[in-house]
Amino acid sequence: MATILIVEDEIPINELIKRNLQSVGHRCISAFDGMEAIDELAQQKIDLVLLDIMLPEIDGYEVFQQIHGTPTIFLTARSSLSDKVKGLTLGADDYLVKPFDMLELLARVEALLRRTNKETRNFKLDGVEVDFKSRQVFLHKNLVECTPREFDLLEVLVNNRNIALSRDKLLELAWGYDYIGDTRTVDVHIQKLRKKLKLESRIKTVYKMGYRLEV
Amino acid sequence: MKIKTFLFTFILFLLFFYSGILLISSMTLINNLESSKDRSLREHYFIATSYAKDLNALENRDVSIDSGVESLYRSYFNFYSKQKVILTISKENKRLYANLTEESYNLPEISENIKVSERLVSIEKLEDKDYVRVVGTLPAPYDSYTLAYYYNVSDVISSWYKMTVTLFLIGMLICGLLAVCLLFVLNRVFKPLQLISSTSKSIANGQYGNRIEVKGDDELAEMAQSFNHMAEEIQSQMQQLAIAAEQKQQFVDNLAHELRTPLTSIYGYAEYIQKIVRTEEDRIFATNYIMSECRRLQNISVLLLEMATLRTSESERKKIEMSELIRDVEQSLSMKAKEKQIEISYEHHFNTLFCDADLMHILLVNLIDNALKASSSGGLITLNAYIENEHKVIVVQDNGKGMSKEHLNHITEAFYRVDSSRSRSAGGAGLGLTLCKQIAVNHHAELSFSSEIGKGTTAKLTFTS
Repeated sequence: MATILIVEDEIPINELIKRNLQSVGHRCISAFDGMEAIDELAQQKIDLVLLDIMLPEIDGYEVFQQIHGTPTIFLTARSSLSDKVKGLTLGADDYLVKPFDMLELLARVEALLRRTNKETRNFKLDGVEVDFKSRQVFLHKNLVECTPREFDLLEVLVNNRNIALSRDKLLELAWGYDYIGDTRTVDVHIQKLRKKLKLESRIKTVYKMGYRLEV
Repeated sequence: MKIKTFLFTFILFLLFFYSGILLISSMTLINNLESSKDRSLREHYFIATSYAKDLNALENRDVSIDSGVESLYRSYFNFYSKQKVILTISKENKRLYANLTEESYNLPEISENIKVSERLVSIEKLEDKDYVRVVGTLPAPYDSYTLAYYYNVSDVISSWYKMTVTLFLIGMLICGLLAVCLLFVLNRVFKPLQLISSTSKSIANGQYGNRIEVKGDDELAEMAQSFNHMAEEIQSQMQQLAIAAEQKQQFVDNLAHELRTPLTSIYGYAEYIQKIVRTEEDRIFATNYIMSECRRLQNISVLLLEMATLRTSESERKKIEMSELIRDVEQSLSMKAKEKQIEISYEHHFNTLFCDADLMHILLVNLIDNALKASSSGGLITLNAYIENEHKVIVVQDNGKGMSKEHLNHITEAFYRVDSSRSRSAGGAGLGLTLCKQIAVNHHAELSFSSEIGKGTTAKLTFTS
């Protein structure tokens, strides 16, 4: 769980990002303009900033220069190359162009947190404990044998907890883009995970969608 | 064109000049030859007559005719040969005494039978020399003898030839001089044309600032002036087009951004409902956002459509009672004003306004609505309609927070926002003042703004027609 500052002047989008990040277990603070963002950063320890470039009063670039040190992902509607280059040369860690996919945002946030070691790498739920560093899973302190693919799938579910993932999306995220196989494979692996970890009530089948790990 | 003119002029000149020379020289030649012929005829007559007289005298002294002819011929020949004249005498087509002469001439035979008292004149060529020949019989009773008179005209011809060559040489010199002068003159004449063509080329290449220097006040200067005028017009038109294109591009960019933001939230919340929402409360929360963002899109499309119809159609204008117009405006704003605790005062000093009531209503409501947004509770907004310099004027004034000059220049641009987050949360589409401006233009009225930070903003609508 990380503390994330969302700097975005569009209230609906700010709220949307907040809700999505909260559903996977992050603590979120909203700021609607540059001044507010700088105030928030001064007041508390923040692990990651999602920063819109087009902000009223103080624009995103200026805010960024004052928050040096905190990992930052720029969010913007501008898609021109010069903007991207400017953002990255200033030292931004990543860049997302609106409109973006929520799963992509979550994946980038997750990746950046992992890079900067801000994420606590253990996940606990109903006696199941997942240690991402050693890639081991325990049920009531007992080690459960998992195949690498099963662990990958579990990791994807944990990272996107509370989000319904389609079978195709799961294939893409856990198996990789180049995997050629049936979505049945996903069903089989999900069944195995449910049985091994006693997560039948947690890994839910979402009608006509896929699966969701509910926390 | 220049080369063409030069060639044409030059060739024509050559043609006439040389044909003139040719004509003159050939006339001279013909004249000279004619006079030589006349002279030869006279000489021949004189010689033949005196010859006959002398022969007659010799005959009286009992000298035989043949020896008389011979001795006379010798003395005549000797005398005339000094004057470039050759004499021959023949009898019955046979040349006599050809061997008497020191130089022997290879003279052509006189083939024709010459009748008495008839003389033939012709031009003969002997040993590269030209002679005028006169052939005729001696007077009777010696008409069996034929006297031929050869007069050397080589000198005449060669002097003519010399003259002709000299004339041609001088002609060539004159032609050369003429060519140089012609080129010079043509250059001068064509220089302005060349200037115009090079300037128009550079203008065609996009350098719209280029002009021709105008000298003098002849036709060419006039042309240069009108050319410059044309270039100026083109330049200003191009500038206007560029500005219009830029504005349009700005509008499209803004529209794209304006559309993208609500679409991003709509898509995002739909995804949120599909993948995350588990409680009824969350669902309502997300659908509320979807609906409000849809309304925003709807607002934009309605305003854009209204502006489009305003642009294309003339409004239906009638005489409207000011009191009626103001009452309607008051009605639609009183709730909002009460809510924000802002007082609005209305005042009018003329009774009727020639306008489209609906459009004028939209305009005034928009202006006052903006004033409401800029004012805080306890503020005062005044609408004052009066006549200034014979023009009807409506002024909307507030004592709200005002704005900087920089903002003031842009507020009528589509989607321009002084404070984006706040006006968006208030549901504005960023098109209100753009619509106002459009309505003002439609009514041939001028809409201007003045503002001071902290003191308030004044919108002034001046009807010019």
